[in-house]
Amino acid sequence: MRTLIIIMSMISFLFGKVRIVTSTTDIADIAKIIGGDHVTVTSIARGNQDPHYVEILPSYMLKVRKADIYFMVGMELDLWAQQIIDGSRNRKVLIVDCSVGINKMEVPTGQIDASMGDIHRFGNPHYWLDPENGKLIARMVAEKLINHDSKNADQYQANLTQFEKDLDSAISIWTKRFSNLKDKDIIFYHNSWPYFSKRFGLKTVDFLEPKPMITPSPSKLNQVIQKIKSDGIEVIASESYFSDRAPKFIASKTKVKTVKLAQSVGAIESADSYINLFETNLTILAKAYGVSYD
Amino acid sequence: MLKKLVGGILFTTFTFSQTTVNPQFSVIGDLVMDHLHKDPSLLTSGIEIAVQGYVNPFARADIYLHKHNDDSPIELEEAVMTIERGLPFGLGLRAGKFRPDLGKINQSHAHLFPFIEVPAGMAKILGEEFWSATGVETNVFLPLPWYSNFSLGYFDSGISSHDYSDYEKDEDDHDHENDHKDKDDHNHDDEKDHGREKQTNAFSIRWSHFFELNNVNHLELGLSGYSGKAEQILGADFKYKWRPNKYRSLTLQAEVLQHSLEDEYMEKAVHPDEKLTVAYAMVNFQFNKAYNFGVLIDYWSLGLADDEGMNPSIFFGFSPVEESAVLRLKIGQLERENDEKNHKKYLKTTIQIIWSLGPHKPHRY
Repeated sequence: MRTLIIIMSMISFLFGKVRIVTSTTDIADIAKIIGGDHVTVTSIARGNQDPHYVEILPSYMLKVRKADIYFMVGMELDLWAQQIIDGSRNRKVLIVDCSVGINKMEVPTGQIDASMGDIHRFGNPHYWLDPENGKLIARMVAEKLINHDSKNADQYQANLTQFEKDLDSAISIWTKRFSNLKDKDIIFYHNSWPYFSKRFGLKTVDFLEPKPMITPSPSKLNQVIQKIKSDGIEVIASESYFSDRAPKFIASKTKVKTVKLAQSVGAIESADSYINLFETNLTILAKAYGVSYD
Repeated sequence: MLKKLVGGILFTTFTFSQTTVNPQFSVIGDLVMDHLHKDPSLLTSGIEIAVQGYVNPFARADIYLHKHNDDSPIELEEAVMTIERGLPFGLGLRAGKFRPDLGKINQSHAHLFPFIEVPAGMAKILGEEFWSATGVETNVFLPLPWYSNFSLGYFDSGISSHDYSDYEKDEDDHDHENDHKDKDDHNHDDEKDHGREKQTNAFSIRWSHFFELNNVNHLELGLSGYSGKAEQILGADFKYKWRPNKYRSLTLQAEVLQHSLEDEYMEKAVHPDEKLTVAYAMVNFQFNKAYNFGVLIDYWSLGLADDEGMNPSIFFGFSPVEESAVLRLKIGQLERENDEKNHKKYLKTTIQIIWSLGPHKPHRY
């Protein structure tokens, strides 16, 4: 009898949870924090993967098949998500676009076409790289969880309140500790960082890609080298999934330092949570610029 | 009857479910040149026009039109409605004209092949443009710990209606006649195909499995079957992919089909127990974001007639910006029948340029 009760409890524990699938690890980490023990969370893209291009594996459809809620990044970053959701045959899954409510940056005006590179018509989609937007994602996750699983609403609300408090506290600390990064010129490989730069005061002066998602050309590299030499730019930062070749080539011709940043949770080992994502990136940049941050 | 039913479903779906949101349009053009053609001018293979979109929250429609660079009319390659969500028991459904789920390669459009052309052996069974038919296909995930999909289809035209002898004939014509004659023959054969399409109904089944071995190693295995008018096909396929990052990948893919022939093959009498076995194996290595190269082995055999052929080739690809523009080169052996037993071997070099206009589609495994 006792065994039966234990088995029933385990079944109830496993099957009573809200099953969440997310496109990226950032939303997954936030969902874990808000959902706590009442949710299971799976991310489709890995942290060190380019979220623009995720090959659709049949096994991803299996992951979504029993999901209750799918949280997308939106803004056309994870266009692949819709094919996974469709292929899952899950007709009950609630699809949530986390970009709703975000104050979007770099929304193009006028006609856009492929001559501009891989441009996103709804604006730059890397909004999770501003911790303030992390709070908006968390609110979205909490709202959907409360609607879906009202019996645990208090717990979700409490987790949201705590997460916002932790993030506010971290933002306040980061703003002070890393104030020496303010107004530093930086070159990024890809335009993933406008939200991050705006929040922490970095000045983006160029990109290695001549246009979004176009591989750096020799003429572009030469142009960047000239700019680094003339303007004294100290750091090139790239996402973890890009090759080192172009940044290292430039570094060999100049005195610029090259660093890899975590564009998502799990991209770099120390960026193992949403809060540590910022801690890691800011520390890497402070070390590269040689500024104090304690 | 089936065509009318499917046509009716598609018409009703489009008419009553159309919204103000326009479907996506894309165009893929390709330019192919090979040294076997006596006319040194570039040969434009044609363009493919795709119109795709949701017709409602549960169903999608995909229409592919193809236009050859000749006087032939625009061909309807596929016009299919797919219901992936909304049906009970996790069922999926495709209805319309489409490429049935038979083997791995039959569902791929030719512009996705890194080796440019259809493997000649597979074309002997599936036809040069593969098997596309009007019908209904349903599929379901089996309740196994890994991805396991079972599909079953019923179609109004079988593979034999495509007459695999056309492929050989076209290839021979290329060697001996000018291109205009080729195109005339092609049109003639197409008409002949369409005339036969109503004669045979066919069933197809496929059972595929996908294993995510770890984050970078994936394996797919499949078994297929086909039953038409007094003819059967059995097939097995395999695909392994190693993709550690966006700059490198290694794909191994192989497929075998065995066709039980009745008493005739390519207008020649064969033993009633004769089987045509065709296969290909491919290794494709992406060694940079934009470059890949690989090897293709293409094989066919008539067991009882003790007649077989194998064509190896190497291929190279360059795609500077995803697949919006792709340059491919293939150098391979081409084998043709001179008489019943003698095959003459040629070295064939093929260059292909592909461009695409429109939204970039996510890549399926």
